[in-house]
Amino acid sequence: MTLLEAVEVRKFYGTFCALDGVTLTIGRGQFVSIVGPNGAGKTTLVNVLTGLLAPTSGAVRFKGRDVAGLDPVRLARLGLARSFQLVHVFPGLTVAETLAVAVLARRRRGARLFASLAAERATWDEAAGVAELFGLADQLGRPARTLPQGDKKLLDVASAFALHPEVILLDEPTSGVSTADKHAVMAVLVEAARRLGIASIIQVEHDMDIVFGYSDRIVALHQGRVLADATPAELQANDEVMATIVGRAARRA
Amino acid sequence: MQRILNLACGSFYALGAYTGVSAVTWALGHGLPAPLFLLVLVASGLALAVIGPPVERLLRAVYDRDESFQLLLTFALVLMFEDVMRFVWGTAPVQLGNAYLVYGRLAVAGSTVPVYNLVVIAAGGLVALGMGGLLTHTRFGRIVRATAENREMSAALGVDLRRVYARVFTLGVALGTVGGALVIPATAAVNEMAIDVVVEAFAVVVIGGLGSMRGAFVGSLIVGVLKAGAIATWPEVEMLAIYVVVIGVLVLRPAGLFAGAAP
Amino acid sequence: MIRRGLALAAAALLALAPLLAPPYQVTLLLPAFAYGIALLGLNLLFGTAGLLSFGHALFVALGAYTAAGLTTRYGVLSFEAIVAAAAGLAAVVAVPVGLLCVRYVKIYFGMLTLAFGMLFYSFLYKFYALTGGDEGLRVLRPLLLGRPFAELDKVGFLTGPFYYYALALLALATLAMRRIVRSPFGLSLRAIRENADKAAFVGVSVRRYRFYAFVIAAVFGAVGGTLLAVPTGLADPLLAYWTHSGNLVFMLLLGGFEHFLGPLVGALAFIFLQDLVMSLTAYWRFVFGALLAIVVVFFPRGLLGLVAPERPA
Ligand SMILES: Nc1ncnc2c1ncn2[C@@H]1O[C@H](COP(=O)(O)OP(=O)(O)O)[C@@H](O)[C@H]1O
Ligand SMILES: [Mg+2]
Repeated sequence: MTLLEAVEVRKFYGTFCALDGVTLTIGRGQFVSIVGPNGAGKTTLVNVLTGLLAPTSGAVRFKGRDVAGLDPVRLARLGLARSFQLVHVFPGLTVAETLAVAVLARRRRGARLFASLAAERATWDEAAGVAELFGLADQLGRPARTLPQGDKKLLDVASAFALHPEVILLDEPTSGVSTADKHAVMAVLVEAARRLGIASIIQVEHDMDIVFGYSDRIVALHQGRVLADATPAELQANDEVMATIVGRAARRA
Repeated sequence: MQRILNLACGSFYALGAYTGVSAVTWALGHGLPAPLFLLVLVASGLALAVIGPPVERLLRAVYDRDESFQLLLTFALVLMFEDVMRFVWGTAPVQLGNAYLVYGRLAVAGSTVPVYNLVVIAAGGLVALGMGGLLTHTRFGRIVRATAENREMSAALGVDLRRVYARVFTLGVALGTVGGALVIPATAAVNEMAIDVVVEAFAVVVIGGLGSMRGAFVGSLIVGVLKAGAIATWPEVEMLAIYVVVIGVLVLRPAGLFAGAAP
Repeated sequence: MIRRGLALAAAALLALAPLLAPPYQVTLLLPAFAYGIALLGLNLLFGTAGLLSFGHALFVALGAYTAAGLTTRYGVLSFEAIVAAAAGLAAVVAVPVGLLCVRYVKIYFGMLTLAFGMLFYSFLYKFYALTGGDEGLRVLRPLLLGRPFAELDKVGFLTGPFYYYALALLALATLAMRRIVRSPFGLSLRAIRENADKAAFVGVSVRRYRFYAFVIAAVFGAVGGTLLAVPTGLADPLLAYWTHSGNLVFMLLLGGFEHFLGPLVGALAFIFLQDLVMSLTAYWRFVFGALLAIVVVFFPRGLLGLVAPERPA
């Protein structure tokens, strides 16, 4: 069943064409990796898929609705969440507070004016539960700005997970994480997705070990076009594409 | 341009006006031929621009902070300048009399207009053209525009931001003080003119769209015509009309009438 | 714990002030209480939601003019009715104004609120028949809980029943604002202040919450305005003038916008400093401008920031 689809999406920055006719469908239960060299248009694609950027032409639909007319809040309620390539946290809020913001928003309790925040037991418990999943349980009281870079990244991702979305888009969730720790992070993501009932994960990732180890499907972008869209096994059989993407990835590293 | 909104720019304008009155009165008292008063006005305005660098130095302390603090610091300057003007010139409006009539009057479309007003209008046009030329055709102008677009990039390319800011700021102060000096033959210098100018400048920017020279020019024309029209037909609503237009533009065209510039 | 103890001690001191301090000092506390309430609202916008309004005086003036209009024009003297009417009116005005203003942030928000404040100022100034123009409108002595206290002279009234009434209103406003800041809504506002884009992507309706904050701030501003008008007995257009808004921000910064009690400390400090400086020189604005510059550059965390430098959670 299709959850998220892009049809013939083009995106121009001025005269520069960052996405040149991208067509893509993401079904329920898929783990999709978007790969490609720097500047291929991966971040642009994620931004267009999440409504942050309007496509110059073409359409993006989530559950049959045009994403272009939906703000992030509506998208979150419909079940679409994301994290950013450059970490986005609330520097002055603690880990628990950050996750509580997301939990409150999901439970539509964020606008309660005179309710006591301290008495929101269910919210805090849930926030603590998410923190636990991401290994942040002993940092609950720390302001986000004092976290190490890797934990900031995890917190950014965790707050998107706390929305219990159906589809989650992660722009380089393991950037800045050492190769050794990347597998741990991926294991956390997969486990968290399973526990929180997240149907599909779409991630931008450079590490080919990770990409081939975890994905059901790989979308290779090159200069704004889809170069390949296949399972890891199919890709491995295609020497030409492999040379392009792995070669580039290797050069990049 | 600098992304610093300066509440104190109105104070520079008012200061220019007061100083202009004093300078011209003094010069005429010392036997200056009346027709030369225009030069005295311009000279006094330019001389006042010396307050630019020290004020800029002060504002530099908050360049990298939240804009709110920049706004507040300029508000502090407004308070201080207000009392300086009160101390030197008192609270009553200060006027030049009708010296400006030495240039005579001209019959235009059935009414008479003092030639001086036409001179000021021409000067305004020239300054606008000059600024446009400066920004588009000189090295300094290109640096200023690049910096307005992207501070970090310019800094990375080796542009000395401090010098650019200091010069732009002083230029702005000079334009403000000379502008203030030029209008006083036609109106009195009063303390309140400071905020009127700030709001008008804001109106111009809002109507024109931030950072667009063409927009600023058309915006100032609209504000000017509007003011003149309101004064001629219903003087009570002069400032009211400007606020209403600002708010109207923001409702209908949030990016300004010349959208395309960054909001 | 220590903080709570200090706050309680200060509250007790304020409650005893009419017995301990000379009447003049006590009457100085009244505008400080009024500003305290208005600033609680302003700080919900700035300290909590991160929006700096340069037009908050609009709502203070609206409250003052409500008190003036009701007492002199409509014979409504009940102060409870006046406060309720001012709060209601402020909310009604804040809806359209807020809907427009919260579409912007930072300097644009500041300038737009300033423009609205000045629009109201021009209105008060120019529409003589309705507002009394530059002379303003008188504010008659109101009834407190239905009682006129006719046996008391003006000072007796102000330093007696009205003082305690104002103090009670301040306490009520403080408790209400405390609840709001410590509610899920308060947390959402802080998230917006810290990173609005991120807040939107975790499902916080950024504009809607900013709008709520704007309306609440307006209501607090107007309630403060009603209190401000009674001791002076006058509502005049300068209440809406932009420098008055600027002074409100000044007070907030002086007290420390990062602290919940910053507004109250700032209002008290400002009023007593102003009284002191004005008794020394006619050019108190210059002194205050210099003071503000020093605070902005060197002590942006205000007086409470000197005591507790870390931003509290
Ligand atoms: N806001 C922008 N304005 C102009 N060009 C941009 C902008 N964002 C990205 N680009 C350009 O678009 C191309 C794709 O960028 P991006 O989507 O960030 O690539 P990736 O995430 O694959 O590295 C790059 O060449 C980049 O320089
Ligand atoms: Mg990228």
